[in-house]
Amino acid sequence: MSTPEIEFKGYGITTTDPAKWSEFEVVPIKPKHFGPRDVDVAIKYCGVCGSDVHTLTGGWGSTPNVPLVVGHEIVGNVTRVGDAVTEFKPGDRVGVGAQIGSCGECRACKAGDENYCPKMIHTYNNFYPDGVLSQGGFSTGIRAHEQFVFKIPDGLELRDAATMTCAGLTVFSPLKVNGCGPGKTVGVIGIGGLGHYAILFAKAMGATVYAFSHSASKEADIQKMGADFVVSTHDPDYYQPLQGTIDIIISTIDHYSPDRPLKSYLSMLATHGRFITCGLPDADNPLPPVHPFDLTYNGCYIGGTHMGSKREAVEMLQLAADKGVKPWVQELPMSQAKQAIEGVKTGKARYRYVLKQDLVSYD
Amino acid sequence: MSAIEFKGYALTDPSRWNDLKVTSIKPKNFSSCDVEIAITHCGVCGSDVHTLTQGWGESKLPLVVGHEIIGHVTRVGDKVKEFKKGDRVGVGAQIGSCMQCRPCKSDYENYCPNGISTYNSEYPDGVVSQGGYATAIRAHQQFVFPIPDEIESRDAASMMCAGLTVYSPLKTYGAGPGKKVGIMGIGGLGHYAVLWAKAMGAEVYAFTHDKSKMDDIKKMGADHIINTEEPDFYKPLANTLDLIVSTRDVYSPETPLGSYLSMLFVHGKFITVGIPDTNQPLPSLHPFDLASNGCLVGGSSIGSKKEALDMLELARKKNVRPWIEEMPMKNAGKALQNVKDNKVRYRYVLTQDLN
Repeated sequence: MSTPEIEFKGYGITTTDPAKWSEFEVVPIKPKHFGPRDVDVAIKYCGVCGSDVHTLTGGWGSTPNVPLVVGHEIVGNVTRVGDAVTEFKPGDRVGVGAQIGSCGECRACKAGDENYCPKMIHTYNNFYPDGVLSQGGFSTGIRAHEQFVFKIPDGLELRDAATMTCAGLTVFSPLKVNGCGPGKTVGVIGIGGLGHYAILFAKAMGATVYAFSHSASKEADIQKMGADFVVSTHDPDYYQPLQGTIDIIISTIDHYSPDRPLKSYLSMLATHGRFITCGLPDADNPLPPVHPFDLTYNGCYIGGTHMGSKREAVEMLQLAADKGVKPWVQELPMSQAKQAIEGVKTGKARYRYVLKQDLVSYD
Repeated sequence: MSAIEFKGYALTDPSRWNDLKVTSIKPKNFSSCDVEIAITHCGVCGSDVHTLTQGWGESKLPLVVGHEIIGHVTRVGDKVKEFKKGDRVGVGAQIGSCMQCRPCKSDYENYCPNGISTYNSEYPDGVVSQGGYATAIRAHQQFVFPIPDEIESRDAASMMCAGLTVYSPLKTYGAGPGKKVGIMGIGGLGHYAVLWAKAMGAEVYAFTHDKSKMDDIKKMGADHIINTEEPDFYKPLANTLDLIVSTRDVYSPETPLGSYLSMLFVHGKFITVGIPDTNQPLPSLHPFDLASNGCLVGGSSIGSKKEALDMLELARKKNVRPWIEEMPMKNAGKALQNVKDNKVRYRYVLTQDLN
């Protein structure tokens, strides 16, 4: 049986003019050179991530390379595998997230933490060693080293798995690394794409969950997601009754306001509790000032996290299949990427957009 | 038995922060769990400077500081089983806690939200806690540590705060064989961190801006010494260290925290034990600095009794002794000024001279 060659093309920006950051055109894509460990994936769906916005607007401090196709919450079917690929075969349902390459040799890679490889390659807007620019999933297909391809378990729908490959993994990894499980109390700040996943996964892992939101309109949804407590951050003293209560705070805050001191969040942590920031604000938006007193008070930590490893992705996808974790997604045709991405920028998603690929039919 | 006369060298006028006057002290009301101690030695801590200069806020007056205390027991309450008259003991930076909260019940009494500091705090009955530049102190037995025979009082004194404050994060993290530990700032706390980390079997990277200390730091056992005045000193160490314990209580705003954090390997920890004046937050931190290696920035506050006893056992077993300078307690003012000016090599211990 011959599998069809993918015609790689996608919805991309063609100018670096910031006023046209969401103006997409169909552009051809030059994929990386096909190697023995590579997998070609015919894309069915791609989620829309805050990273897409930060990259296209230049908010993260660098101008995008054009033409550029973003999107790193990719699911589809394998069409072709290299000779040395052991894990996949054509037809497999797979996902690809925010990382597409690593060196394979450094201490982090050897420890199975390839998401911390100093030479990591992101799924879009990064250069491969041979000079090819990585292009993302608002497209017909993607080529990836098998290390960065995740099998989607039976029992998980593709359109649900899509956004797990970045949003889900980005919160699952710190929950796992920081010991989320039965008996632990987790706080989630900001209930958007990442935040809603943090509630779903923390509950699936057996923790007690406090959800913090400034949007009263989301409260009913948050209850349905399974949060044990919903706290409105409008009340300026919301954190006072919760001093010393929470083991892990997952912060999805994407813009830190200087009049919300970090100290109020940190004071909610139990002894040696952790505040993990998953949101990556624009380059000119650092954390509010922190004084060592804010940290020594309860011996707490402020931490960061970056995507997740394959090991964590596989565990997360299996947990989702076993526990019936179902994200709250809104589907749009991929040709409406502009509408979706502008919706993410203005906080309209309830709670993640998924684009259905419509450039080519694979059925 | 004649009762001890409680008196000490006290701050009476904040505009003359290190001009301490001999003053009578009102000790805590003696209770059945308390131990009364005749003080022989007290170390001089950066906390004493921050408190007396009002850098940590307005202090009580009059105030006797000092929380690296060694002495011998003169009296014990009925419920005290651990100590008897004549025992040689130490007291550190904490003198009380609620004993009921979650931290207190899990050997984290140093994180009790209602903890009482050895000086400049108030007991529930309103008595102000007064420190160890004095003839005597009373403390709840939980905050009194037995000193092993092998460790002289002059050496044990500064272990009570400086030693314990760096021992706790090293122990909590698991500093030991195979671990690469960075120590920033080699003063009273920092030199202890080098000594403990070596005794625990770790590989030690010592960071200092003071070239005059480098020979000493080598003798303390540091495996590597890095001069932080060199531009880009952190670059060769990218992704290398498992733990950094920072004793700095002053940060240069020109060096962003991210430069130090870049030296950590995946999920490594930067723990600050140094506490600057209240108007000096940490240098700017962006989530990018934390995301690149998934690192953690934390703080640590003194240590628990459990950790104190572990630490003293390590000191006894591995023959760890600090680098100290002794002087009579009446020279406290000079010692304090020298600590403020970074002149001490590496901790002052005052010998009690009031009785």
